[in-house]
Amino acid sequence: MKCKRCRKAAAAVDLPSHHSAFCPDCFFVFFRRQVEEGIRKFSLLEPRDRVLVCVSGGKDSLVLWDILMELGYDTEGLYIDLGIEGYSDRSGEKIAAFAASRGKEPIVVDLRREGVPIPEAAKRSRKEECSVCGTVKRYFFNRVAATRGFTVVATGHNLDDEAARLLGNLLHWHGDHLERQHPLLPGEGGGLVRKVKPLWRVSEMETAAYGFLKGIDYVTEECPMSEDATSLVYKEALSLLEEKMPGTRSRLYMGFLTKKGTFLNFLTSAEINEAPPSGAEHPGTCAVCGAPTYAETCGFCRLKEKVGRGAVR
Amino acid sequence: MILVRMPQKKKELTLPGPKRVLDILAAAGVRPTTVLVTQGTRLLTKDQRVEDGETVDIISVVSGG
Ligand code: SF4
Ligand SMILES: [Zn+2]
Ligand SMILES: [Zn+2]
Repeated sequence: MKCKRCRKAAAAVDLPSHHSAFCPDCFFVFFRRQVEEGIRKFSLLEPRDRVLVCVSGGKDSLVLWDILMELGYDTEGLYIDLGIEGYSDRSGEKIAAFAASRGKEPIVVDLRREGVPIPEAAKRSRKEECSVCGTVKRYFFNRVAATRGFTVVATGHNLDDEAARLLGNLLHWHGDHLERQHPLLPGEGGGLVRKVKPLWRVSEMETAAYGFLKGIDYVTEECPMSEDATSLVYKEALSLLEEKMPGTRSRLYMGFLTKKGTFLNFLTSAEINEAPPSGAEHPGTCAVCGAPTYAETCGFCRLKEKVGRGAVR
Repeated sequence: MILVRMPQKKKELTLPGPKRVLDILAAAGVRPTTVLVTQGTRLLTKDQRVEDGETVDIISVVSGG
């Protein structure tokens, strides 16, 4: 198969959803345009932004960091070491090596040092690992951004991630989650920084192909806590649809984004009101640590309190 | 024979060659849109022919996210 763009080189990546196939060089051009278009469409980033890129060591976040640097954005990488034996150490090493190859050094938050390594914190607070992980990550994204002067936080979620999440939210009619699902979550003032997902237009396969062809060395193992994640079931269902009807995934997600306003009118306002007030009302500050929160103490401090109590038991 | 390696599943299988990548994936029971098929530093398209005696890697691209 020949490259459909230059018609000279042999194709390396075939993309049935775009009725196309590209050689490595033309694929780089394609991928870069997709990301630029995704950024432009919702004004995710401004040239003057200082971007904090959340890196996990997996392909998506490293590709994100790589392409944002290439597009000329002012970026630093933030690695939150979850304190998971083996896995976290290997992830940290890959990130350090990648950063060094680009003349950078990642900002590292070590959850063991913060007293909330995920496996223990989950046990002691009697919560699911991933829910604890979500609270802790959100907290440090905001805190590092606020204390180090970043204007925006970027994560590596791709089209497959977002489409799978959308499918899950639709299947369960999570009105409040649907309301907040978007590549751009505006900052809410008071230290809650803007969050963006610049890879929302590119598929997981495209992201992996880009990483592979660029020689980016990433961790291929999964977080050991992620077993039986329901998101994998939604992804599986969508890839079955995608195979029979190429382009389904992107039509689902892009359609949602463009029709979101009309669509959400169908849901009762009561459901939507569960979401924190966006923009209009600013969050207050946590009584313990001063972080922005809509409650008296923030989710992170409540978690730490539980983890502390669990330890005494 | 073609040696097919699936490093994440820690699995290997051998298939009589030559074979198209698409047929290798079918034989391995893998959905084509969920993997990259690589040979060293090269990426193979689904219609490419793999010769007898060659080795390919199937790398899953799906993550829990
Ligand atoms: S699988 Fe769960 S614990 Fe692991 S990184 Fe993802 S959210 Fe965190
Ligand atoms: Zn080309
Ligand atoms: Zn707090």
